Amino acid sequence: MSSLEQLPASAPARDIPRPYSLLAELTYRCPLACPYCSNTPGVKLGADLDTASWLRVLEQAGALGIVQVHFSGGEPLVRADLAQLVAAARRATLYTNLITSGVGLDETRLESLKSAGLDAVQISLQDSREAENDRLAGARCFLQKRRALELTKSFGFPLTLNVVLHRHNLDRIEEVIELAASVGANRLELAHVQYTGWAFRNRSALLPSVEQLERANAAVLAAREGLGRTLEILHVLPDYFQRFPKACLNGWGRMFITVAPDGAALPCQSAREIAGLVFPNVRDHSLEKIWFTDPAFARFRGTAWMPDPCRGCDRREVDYGGCRCQAFLLTGDAGATDPVCELAPTHQIIDAALAEQPAEPFEYRRYAR
Amino acid sequence: MMAEAPLLRPKLVPHSRYRWDAVRQSHQLVFPEGLLVLNETGAAIVERCDGRTLSELIESLAELTPQHPPLEEVVAFLARLRDKGLLVEAASPSEATRTGAAEP
Repeated sequence: MSSLEQLPASAPARDIPRPYSLLAELTYRCPLACPYCSNTPGVKLGADLDTASWLRVLEQAGALGIVQVHFSGGEPLVRADLAQLVAAARRATLYTNLITSGVGLDETRLESLKSAGLDAVQISLQDSREAENDRLAGARCFLQKRRALELTKSFGFPLTLNVVLHRHNLDRIEEVIELAASVGANRLELAHVQYTGWAFRNRSALLPSVEQLERANAAVLAAREGLGRTLEILHVLPDYFQRFPKACLNGWGRMFITVAPDGAALPCQSAREIAGLVFPNVRDHSLEKIWFTDPAFARFRGTAWMPDPCRGCDRREVDYGGCRCQAFLLTGDAGATDPVCELAPTHQIIDAALAEQPAEPFEYRRYAR
Repeated sequence: MMAEAPLLRPKLVPHSRYRWDAVRQSHQLVFPEGLLVLNETGAAIVERCDGRTLSELIESLAELTPQHPPLEEVVAFLARLRDKGLLVEAASPSEATRTGAAEP
């Protein structure tokens, strides 16, 4: 690293660094029902934050030092005030990113988002083929998504195509890459399912085989070679197959904050899966107060909370002990080492999961109203 | 592996944007999933990655500051930005006219 650039420096241990990124989950309503949705199962729909509350949160985010806001959901296009919120985020000097299924992203919406100053668009696709895409999404949406990809490009937005990978679509990874290149995407995110949220419930239906993964890896390497820099491909590998856990959030309460549709402020979008933690709400407190003083945000911040073997591990500030939600889902203890780590005392949980027979079918994401 | 030839007309990709962070008092290059913190010189270089030629870019840096950074350092910095997918080759003016791809 030269003198001309630095990654954000980690602050001294006693200081709490300011967050960089806000995930604004505007609603859990969604026209799709993907079985790997990262939204927390069992939460109630409805009572989404109103426009005025979001405008306040976005202003507070700018003052707190947030750099990027990702408008997500559910499906953020469900909200009629989306462009208004984007404009407010730009006024607060934030970089604005829309994360959408593409359903409902027509000329009118794109026009208003462009005027509002939206910086970038990420559209999800479930599969390269219509029938498979629509089966996975639990809704007929492939053609709308294709159209949304083309329209977004024609409006001059930087376009990321996001495809979540698993047993059911991994064998068509070459087709997915071809599709991304053909619609002129700038970036392709190939992110394997993370087994929290609905994906945890559907784990045995979604886990790929080692052979599938190896073929997919080779396909991505070959595509990168062939495409050069015309399409940037980000490939996020499934942590169940790695030796060490992912650096979840780059550390709890360190860079990321999520505001859920009901106003709950979370260190991670899945954090409500952890029983026993109580989270603050932006209806009651400012983001600044939440970030610097809330006990739930402090709970796994830094390294002092860590058990063995994390505590004395050279990697403790590389992967921060892994994913707290995953540790909770797999061991019942959110303060345990992520079982994905080969050094974790509970690592056999992962081996057992990988040895399970694949299950069919999966359960779609559904919420009661 | 042989080093790649430097970009002739380095240009920021559309999804990266320069930003002044008033809270941290720092220059940043922001893109959808991250950011780079830049010092004054880095920011001056990034500001000039607008499709002008590399030699024009370096000349204008020399005008800006008497202690402008060494050429090799600028070229290496640009190469790293390109490796991170943040810089591309801008169409040369003649090509841009031909394809109609020029930006205003």
